[in-house]
Amino acid sequence: MSFTAKDTQLYRQDERSGHRKLDVVQREELVKNYLPQTPLRLRGNSRIRKQDSSRFGIRKFLKAQLYALLYLLTHAIFSLYIRIRIAYHAVSSRFVTILKHHYNSPEYIARDVATLRRLPKHLSVILTLENGGRGDALGKLVNEVAEVTAWCAAAGIPTISVYEKTGILKRYMPQTHGNVANRLTAWFGKDQAPQLSLFARGAPTIESRPGLSLVLISEEDGREAMVDLTRVLTEMVQKNKISASDITMDVIDNELSEAVMKEPDLLISFEPYVDLQGYPPWAIRLTEIFCAPDNQGVGYQVFLRALRKYAGATFKLGK
Amino acid sequence: MSDLYLSHIRKWFLKSPPAEWLMRGAREMLIGTLQQGPIPKHVAFEMDGNRRFAKNHQIEAIEGHHLGFEALARVLEICYKCGVKVVTVYAFSIENFSRPPGEVNGLMAMAKVKLEQLVQHGELLDRYGACIRVLGERSLIPADVLPFVDRAVEMTRHNKDAVLNICFPYTSRAEMTSAIQATIAEFTSAPQPSKPPFSQSRIAQKIRSKYSTRLDSLEPIRETDVGTGSDVDDSMSSTTALDPESPRLQSTTAKPRKLPNPENITADTINSHTYTAECPPLDIFIRTSNVTRLSDFMLWQCHESTHIFFLKCFWPEFDLWHFVPVLLEWQWRQKKLLEKESSQK
Repeated sequence: MSFTAKDTQLYRQDERSGHRKLDVVQREELVKNYLPQTPLRLRGNSRIRKQDSSRFGIRKFLKAQLYALLYLLTHAIFSLYIRIRIAYHAVSSRFVTILKHHYNSPEYIARDVATLRRLPKHLSVILTLENGGRGDALGKLVNEVAEVTAWCAAAGIPTISVYEKTGILKRYMPQTHGNVANRLTAWFGKDQAPQLSLFARGAPTIESRPGLSLVLISEEDGREAMVDLTRVLTEMVQKNKISASDITMDVIDNELSEAVMKEPDLLISFEPYVDLQGYPPWAIRLTEIFCAPDNQGVGYQVFLRALRKYAGATFKLGK
Repeated sequence: MSDLYLSHIRKWFLKSPPAEWLMRGAREMLIGTLQQGPIPKHVAFEMDGNRRFAKNHQIEAIEGHHLGFEALARVLEICYKCGVKVVTVYAFSIENFSRPPGEVNGLMAMAKVKLEQLVQHGELLDRYGACIRVLGERSLIPADVLPFVDRAVEMTRHNKDAVLNICFPYTSRAEMTSAIQATIAEFTSAPQPSKPPFSQSRIAQKIRSKYSTRLDSLEPIRETDVGTGSDVDDSMSSTTALDPESPRLQSTTAKPRKLPNPENITADTINSHTYTAECPPLDIFIRTSNVTRLSDFMLWQCHESTHIFFLKCFWPEFDLWHFVPVLLEWQWRQKKLLEKESSQK
C-alpha cells in the first residue's frame, strides 16, 4: 500500500503496541482511502452506475488514450534501453574474452580458479541445439559439450551434467564420448587425460572407471522421469510389494538421484536470460543458478564468472 | 554533516502532502500504462531478505518481517491493480522451523494477528474479489494458528477475481512427494469411473433377446427344416460370440477390484494433485536479495516456461519501482517470442 507517511506511522504505532491502539473501526478508517472502488457486481443501485458512466465517459476515454500513448512511449524507451544493454554486454564480454583467454591450456584455467574459496563438485550446464538441429547444429553442440567438459576437467570439477532439451546427444552416446575424450587428450596429453565416463538415464554407461563423469540429461528426465517413477511405484503398491505409506520424500529422492542425477551445485545457463527449458525440477532445489544477462553463446568467461559467483555465495538451508 | 541534512530535507520533502499526492498519481499512471500490454496471469514471490535488511538497519529480525509484510501488502495491491490473477508467496518454509524459536514464534504470532485482522475486515477483502488459499503441510501449522487459517480461507472462498496463494509450511519437494502419493492413491484405490456407461454384455443380451423374439414371431410362419436349422445356427453363433465375453465379466466381478493401469499416469495426472492444480501456469518467478537459487519453491511449476528474475533489493524494500522493470522486460520478451513464433510459421 502506498500509504502516506502519516498513515504509515499510525499503522506502525499500532503494530508496535500489539494492535491495541486501534480498534476494528479505526483500522478500517485507516485503509479506507486506499481501497479500490466497490466492484460493479457488488453495487446494488443501478441508477448510480448509469450516472457514473455518462459523467465519466469522456474522461475515461481520454485516460485510456493517455495510457495507450504512455505505453507506446515506455516501451519505445525500454526497447532502446535493452538494445543498449545488449550491445554493452556484447562488447564488454568480447573485451574480456580477448583479455582473458584460456588458450586451450589447462594450466591457465587452473590458475584462474586457484584463488576461489570453493568449487562446485557437480556442475550442470544448459546447452541448446540451434536451428532445430538443421545444418551442423549437432556438431556444434558436441563441440560445446567437449569444450565445457575440458574446462571442468582443468578446473578440477569431477561431475558435469549437460542438459539439452531434445536429448539428441543420447542417441549419439559413443560418438559424443569419443569426441569429448579426444578433446581431453588434446588438452592434457595422452597420459594425463582424465578417464571419462558417460551416463544417461536408461542407456548403458560408457567406461565407468573413476575419473570424470559426464551425465547427459534431457527434457524426458524432468517431469517424464517422475511420471515413470510414479508408474513403477503405483505398480508396486498395486501388487502389494510395498505399502503406500512407505513412499516418502527420501525414497523418491534416492530413486531420482540414482536414475537421473544428483543435485547439481551450480547450474550455468548460456541463454540471454534464465530459462530452465524443462530442466529436471526435483534436482534444482538448492542449485545456484547462474546466467550472464544478455549473453550469447557458450563462453569461457561466463563459466569463470559463474564459478566466482558460486565461490562467493553462502548456503543456508531455511536459515 | 551536510549529507545528513540533505537526506533529512529529502525525507521531509517526500513526506509532504503535495509530493505524496504526486507520487500516488505517478503510481496510478504507471499501473494504467502497464495494463495496456500483456499481463502475467500468475506471479510467484520468494520474499527473501527480511532478516538481512533488519541486520543492515540494526533492527530486530522480527521488525524486518513486519516491514516485509508491509512490502507484501504493497506488492499485492500492485499485482491486483495490474490484473494479475494469481499471486503465490513463499511465507514459511518447512526448513524455517530450524530457525531460532523466538523468531519462529514471532512469525507465527504475526501470521495469527494478520489473519485475525483479515477475518475482521472480511468485506474489505471482497472489494478486491480475492480469495486466499494456504498451500503446504497442514499438519505442521501450529494448533493456535490453524483456526485463523481456516476462517480466512473459508471467508474468502466465494471470491473469484483473484487468488492469493500463501505457501505456509511449504517446500516444493514435499509438494511433489504429496502429489506423487496422491496419484498413487488414486491409481490403487477402487476404480473411479467404475463402469463404462455402455456394457458390452448388455448390448449382446439385448440383441440376442431381439433375435429370439423375432425368431419366435417368425417361427410360426416358417416351420420348415431350414428355419429350425437356421435357428440352431443362430443361437450357436450367438453363444460363441458371447463366450469370450461372459467369463471376463465373471472374473471382474469375482475379483475384489480392478485397478486402473499405471501406464495411464501422465504429467498432467501428477500436476492435478499439486497445490496449484487450478492455477494458470506460472509466468513470473521473482526472488529478492540477490540469491540465485530457487530454494525449494515452485520447482514443479517454474521449470518449463517461467521467466525467473533474481533481484538485488531486499524484500522490505520491494516496491513498484522494482516490479516495473521486471514487468516491462517480461512484456518485451513476450513480444519477441511472439515475433519469433510468427516468423517461424
